Amino acid sequence: MVLGAAAGAGVLGAILGLGGGILLVPVLTLFFGVSLPYAMGASILSVIATSCGAAAGHLTSGLANIRLGLFLALFTVSGALTGATLVGVVPARALQVLFGLALGYSAFTTIRQLHVEVPETLAADPLAQRFALEGVYHDHVLGRDVAYHAVRVRAGAAVMFGAGVLSGLLGIGSGAFKVLAMDTFMRLPMKVSTATSNFMIGLTAAASAGVYFGRGDIHPVIATPVALGVLVGSYGGTRLIGRMRNTTVRKLFLPIVLYLAVSMLLRGLGVLH
Amino acid sequence: MRRVERLVSRILLAGGGVAVACMLVGVVALEIRATRTAHPLDIAHVVENREAGRAVDVFVSLPQLAHALQRQPPDPVAVITSGVVVLLATPGIALIAAVVGFVAARDRRYAVIGAALVVGLVCGFFLDLGG
Repeated sequence: MVLGAAAGAGVLGAILGLGGGILLVPVLTLFFGVSLPYAMGASILSVIATSCGAAAGHLTSGLANIRLGLFLALFTVSGALTGATLVGVVPARALQVLFGLALGYSAFTTIRQLHVEVPETLAADPLAQRFALEGVYHDHVLGRDVAYHAVRVRAGAAVMFGAGVLSGLLGIGSGAFKVLAMDTFMRLPMKVSTATSNFMIGLTAAASAGVYFGRGDIHPVIATPVALGVLVGSYGGTRLIGRMRNTTVRKLFLPIVLYLAVSMLLRGLGVLH
Repeated sequence: MRRVERLVSRILLAGGGVAVACMLVGVVALEIRATRTAHPLDIAHVVENREAGRAVDVFVSLPQLAHALQRQPPDPVAVITSGVVVLLATPGIALIAAVVGFVAARDRRYAVIGAALVVGLVCGFFLDLGG
């Protein structure tokens, strides 16, 4: 059963650019009675397994853009380092409210562009040209090559940095922010955004994975079915996304953004703990 | 597909494959040990034990793990854990490979970005960042 849940999390993670922790932690704690530290340990392993399985497939298909991923990961990691050093200095609740509102705005934008298959061609950002934040992938659904380039790179980088700060302050994942920064702000195709996010989440999770291991939070008996299921599921997910429209991926992503926006706002306002 | 993408993709796939292989071998060995010694690793015990403190059958350091692997026959839980360690290390190895790939491709800009990320992730490791 854990294997099946993990495989499901892997499939969704590969399609939506998330680590799967958002699904796995509640499943492991509520349905299998696993204590939270072990569930969190399994979650960090799931993020890395999703990233390995999905990014390997996405890089082969051309959906994941390694340059874009590394460029943006630089801002996420520096934001996370800043956030980790600001613990206790910056009011985390205020930041949660701020990001909850930002996510709400992103959800609204996502709804507005729910039927946009490929973003209209906008003038390339000089920074995007300088850092080669562009690419081409073959879209099997559209039956043609889709060329893209990033716009509003500074805004996207700022969101990445902010997501990193939040991640460092609160110890949460930021896969959804990564996807939104690329999709909403940088106007990249949704599938490119989720695939590149899959590559990035593994890098940031790897930084904290050693700590979870050292604390003894990654138990092999729980980790094995999770890793196996997620790896297989995420690799399968990369096959599925190739047959999906960008609009379908966006529709699947919308409930996650809405859930995150509401839960972050409620936490920030002290309603949820 | 460019060279760097191919290299990183292969490393991610190989890392996942090796990790899965270690875990499967460990699970089979654990099952064999359980049937021989009637000493299975009880999932309920693991689940319940965490609140009281760390489970006794979890490896928390690489020397501890290496020691258990050197035993004859190797500890099955250590074999599974070695798969976990391989999986955890895979993104870092892929990043280092990407840096090497960018250096080989004379893409200095991304070689520097990749190297800066390696430094950032090492710092993150010591600061305990979130995923």
